[in-house]
Amino acid sequence: MSTAETLPDASIRLGAQGVTRRFGELVANDRITFRAMRGTIHAIVGGNGAGKSTLMRILQGMDRPDEGMVVVDGVPTVFLGPADAFSRGIGMVHQEFMLVPGLTLLENLVLAHEPTEGLGRIDRKAALEAARKLEREAGVTLDWDTPVDDAPVHVRQIVEILRLLYRGADVLILDEPTAVLAPAQVQELIVLLRKLRAEGRTILFISHKLDEVMALADEITVIRAGQVIGTMTTADTTKAALAEMMIGEILSKPSARPSSVGRPVLEIRELAALDARRSLRLKELDLDVRAGEIVGIAGVAGNGQDEIIAAVTGLGHIERGRIVLDGKDVTKLDLRDRRELGLSYLSPDRAVEGLCLTAPISENLIAGRHRSPELSKGGILQKGAIKRHVETLLDRFSVKRTSSALPIASLSGGNQQKVAMARELDGGPKLLLACQPTRGVDIRGIAFIHQCLLDYREAGGAVLVISEELEELIALSDRIVVLYDGRVTGEVARGSAKVEELGRMMLGETRQEIPA
Amino acid sequence: MIDNIIHAAFVMTTPILLAALGGLVNRIAGIVNIGLDSMMLAGALAGLMVASLTGSWPAALLAAAFVGGFLGLLMSLTVTRLAANEIIVGLGFNIAVAGLVRFFLKSWYGTSGTLSLADVAMLPRIHIPVVANIPVLGAILSDHDPLTWAAWLLVPVSAWFLARTRLGLRLRAAGAAPHAARALGLNPLSLRDASTVFAGMMAGLAGAYLCIGVVGIFNEGITAGRGFLALAAFYFGRNRPWATALGALLFGLFDAIQIRLQGRGLPAELVQTLPYVMVIVILTLVAITVKRARNKGA
Amino acid sequence: MSAVASSARAAPGIGWRDIALAIAPLVLALIVAAVVLGIAGHNPLEVYWLLLKESFGGTKRVAATVAASTPLILTGLATAVAFRTGVFNVGVEGSLLVGGLAAAFVGFTYVDLPAALLLPLALGAAVVAGTLWMLVPAVLKARLDVDEVVTTLMLNFIAVSFTAWLVNGPLLAPGSANSATPMVVEAARLPKLMPPSTLNAGFLIAVALLVLYWLWGRGTALGLETRLAGLNPRFAIASGINVPMLIVKMMLLSGAIGGLAGGIQALGTVNRFVVGFSPGYGFTGIAVALLGRGSAIGIFLAALLFGALATSGATIQLFSDVPIEIVNILQGTVMIFAVARFSWLLKNRRGGK
Repeated sequence: MSTAETLPDASIRLGAQGVTRRFGELVANDRITFRAMRGTIHAIVGGNGAGKSTLMRILQGMDRPDEGMVVVDGVPTVFLGPADAFSRGIGMVHQEFMLVPGLTLLENLVLAHEPTEGLGRIDRKAALEAARKLEREAGVTLDWDTPVDDAPVHVRQIVEILRLLYRGADVLILDEPTAVLAPAQVQELIVLLRKLRAEGRTILFISHKLDEVMALADEITVIRAGQVIGTMTTADTTKAALAEMMIGEILSKPSARPSSVGRPVLEIRELAALDARRSLRLKELDLDVRAGEIVGIAGVAGNGQDEIIAAVTGLGHIERGRIVLDGKDVTKLDLRDRRELGLSYLSPDRAVEGLCLTAPISENLIAGRHRSPELSKGGILQKGAIKRHVETLLDRFSVKRTSSALPIASLSGGNQQKVAMARELDGGPKLLLACQPTRGVDIRGIAFIHQCLLDYREAGGAVLVISEELEELIALSDRIVVLYDGRVTGEVARGSAKVEELGRMMLGETRQEIPA
Repeated sequence: MIDNIIHAAFVMTTPILLAALGGLVNRIAGIVNIGLDSMMLAGALAGLMVASLTGSWPAALLAAAFVGGFLGLLMSLTVTRLAANEIIVGLGFNIAVAGLVRFFLKSWYGTSGTLSLADVAMLPRIHIPVVANIPVLGAILSDHDPLTWAAWLLVPVSAWFLARTRLGLRLRAAGAAPHAARALGLNPLSLRDASTVFAGMMAGLAGAYLCIGVVGIFNEGITAGRGFLALAAFYFGRNRPWATALGALLFGLFDAIQIRLQGRGLPAELVQTLPYVMVIVILTLVAITVKRARNKGA
Repeated sequence: MSAVASSARAAPGIGWRDIALAIAPLVLALIVAAVVLGIAGHNPLEVYWLLLKESFGGTKRVAATVAASTPLILTGLATAVAFRTGVFNVGVEGSLLVGGLAAAFVGFTYVDLPAALLLPLALGAAVVAGTLWMLVPAVLKARLDVDEVVTTLMLNFIAVSFTAWLVNGPLLAPGSANSATPMVVEAARLPKLMPPSTLNAGFLIAVALLVLYWLWGRGTALGLETRLAGLNPRFAIASGINVPMLIVKMMLLSGAIGGLAGGIQALGTVNRFVVGFSPGYGFTGIAVALLGRGSAIGIFLAALLFGALATSGATIQLFSDVPIEIVNILQGTVMIFAVARFSWLLKNRRGGK
């Protein structure tokens, strides 16, 4: 063994060496190797389900690889836990911020590492001094006595980053840091991160927003389906090349026979809505979905999709605009009444909203339809009719089960989603709002669900699909509407949709700007 | 007459205030303590027994705080380590401890309900010479016992403690965002346990006050639901020490008035309902304000 | 409460594990009480045997036990209907008090009415009073999301003082000094089933309601909706169930049953309303609902258990020097253990996933 081989390459601040992590059948990380050099910004890009989150959990010690190792300062290492990772200077800014409500920014900064004087009193002067020093390093100014609850999102994010520095981290892992930011704030963040890099810190930046990655990163590692597709320096690549690596080829296309498009079933007019943080997330949206048509909504998460769901279902508050369902203005109606008028809603959050995991399969299948005349008479559930109905539906959607009386949690993700799908297509809805219809579903399940949606369309149904899977949207949609920052930036018809083009529109470039 | 009522109001405030401050800290750290009344009751009995046994009131207070704190610890562990619902556990403690206290009285002393012991060391009263003769001010300031002074001193102290100290900050974090607190390396469960022990100790002192500060004997109904009045006080004060103290003083005043109303044909019972009605009204007003703010913003 | 709601679901099969889990709180409480008894110098097994004999040994004793369990079946049921909807109603005690007073009031005021009219009227008054008592917390919860635990708990104390005021003043029996209303007339009393035992037709009403509850929970649309709302309110809302309305309905129903419990107690056992009318039936009802895991048969058995403890506890004092308070200790500890989860103690510790 020569000295040259054993000497660790200390310029590698953080990396992975053949990291593999399996969850049952699923290989979330498959022999992932990459290296983030000291004092650089390294981006990890990949689509949904590419394995980014698993890798991040491993890199900060929250999870352990089945094979391979994390590399710290060039040395292969096994982390004992998050505290161990942190003691080696590795800290993470989470997507959902870990700030404590009710506390001021300063209190949040020093929490768990408070400078104190006598009687356990917090030394405010020392805390403020430390805060000012960090401000200078990061090139920002903050009002430290603001309660966290009153601070805007980008300020909270800055506090999170400064807190990591305060606690001694010099490697920052940022998980989709711009997902919650407005464009101007993204610029501020980029400036801040560059400043930190200039001071010798290492930044690992996880994103699927390619323009930010191109603007910020020194090196980029693309992962897809748990594997590293390639690592390149930013100067040597282009957005288009990255997009292609990220998305891959389109594997299969379910057969979509032409269908006759009818009258509009859903009309959204001049819709404006606020998001949970009360900033305007949806601006003057107009959208039609007609009978016999599947309309897909593409866009990076957080560009107004949640607000469309809230507006169409009536589950959230809208600022302005009208929702017309099958010719009737339903803007003021709640979900129950909208369902009566023919709306069906496949929730993006299967575990919490789409299904009741602790209730039996049969009840999940009839919930909401249990008062229909076939299933109950005078408020009394018709056991026999329900049983027949449930078994028929489960057979039709080929749901594998031992007994429909067992809790639905006993089914696999794919079969759970089939149950949700079966319920929503039952009773002949006029419009199906299908959100992330195949999230967490295996390949065979995906094909099945796609075929269901296409069959429904052929039978004259109208579908609005909201999905983060471009491939899925291209396969299903007669039209794809691209959303960026709460506005429609383009529309593409079936057959003419190209990933590259969609990707550009998702980044805010309108179709006209693209040279023919 | 007015002076008498004012003085009595302060006397009646002390136990509510002590327990309320404990419950407040407990709630800020994330546990609503419905079991305060049980800790008060146990503290009252322990206080009386030790006051008689040792003839020393500080020892009695110490014993009461210890017993209350111990019950607090038991309750807290059930909630934090066995994931039990804090409301049910609190109610269960009230029932079980009340039973245990009466069981103990019968088995140990052979009495039912009331316990009267010899040589009980009562809390001393601090007479402030000149001030005592000033109307109103004298009634407010003079002839109170050390525990009353301590209770009022604890109002600014707890406000300061929660706002300015390391432990106070950590307790707030444990209550408001246990997940985030854990991620930063704190142990929110242990912090909660500590706060419940504190609440138990304060409730224990409140009980001892009733026994060796006011009546001098123990009775199974001595708390008269004051643990719940304490709960009402910190809900009324919305977790702010001074507002909570104001609530406790108000409830103490009702208590003092209500005692005087008895036998005069005035509805003392209706005065007793006031603290509870006020809590419901306050919660409603807060909820309306929150809803208005949300609708305006959205 | 999801723990109650989830166990209320009709499981396809009940195994030994379920039974063990169901009686674990009782067993643990018996152990705690045994330690207390042991320290006090009693032989726990002897005491428990005595309790058993005094509650089930002979027709008279059984009748007394069943009579004592009647209000507990109803308060347990009242608690369970709220819990299964995900509403934490701890205010059944208050409904019971106002219901009891309302029934007594009708029973001693409209003395000229025939039994066939007076008795239903008095029970109806109890139901209405109990329902109205829950109106404020129900609406506050559904419309403004005000914590129902606090409001219903506060209302209990208000009910205690409010009823005490009425029976000490406006409704005090003439010439009486002991805070009680006049006796209700014979026509307003529930028929006794086994005189001289206080066991009365109220027990039949309670059991009938329990059977209705069982059928309702399994076989009606509303029963399904409440269960789903209790298990997962977001899912229920997304499925088109009007959850706020459901909360109001079920809290009012809970109050109605609590009021009925008071009415039955006033017209069947006490025959009037007095201060100290309830030794905490509403709170015991919480223990009954939890121990019975929200199921009809479970509520019945748990109510029988606490009824047995109440009657036998009263008599063992006569035969031994064991204080009756052992019953309260058992009751309180059962409540605590019924909500504690011991599962993690059995789980072997394993880091990560």
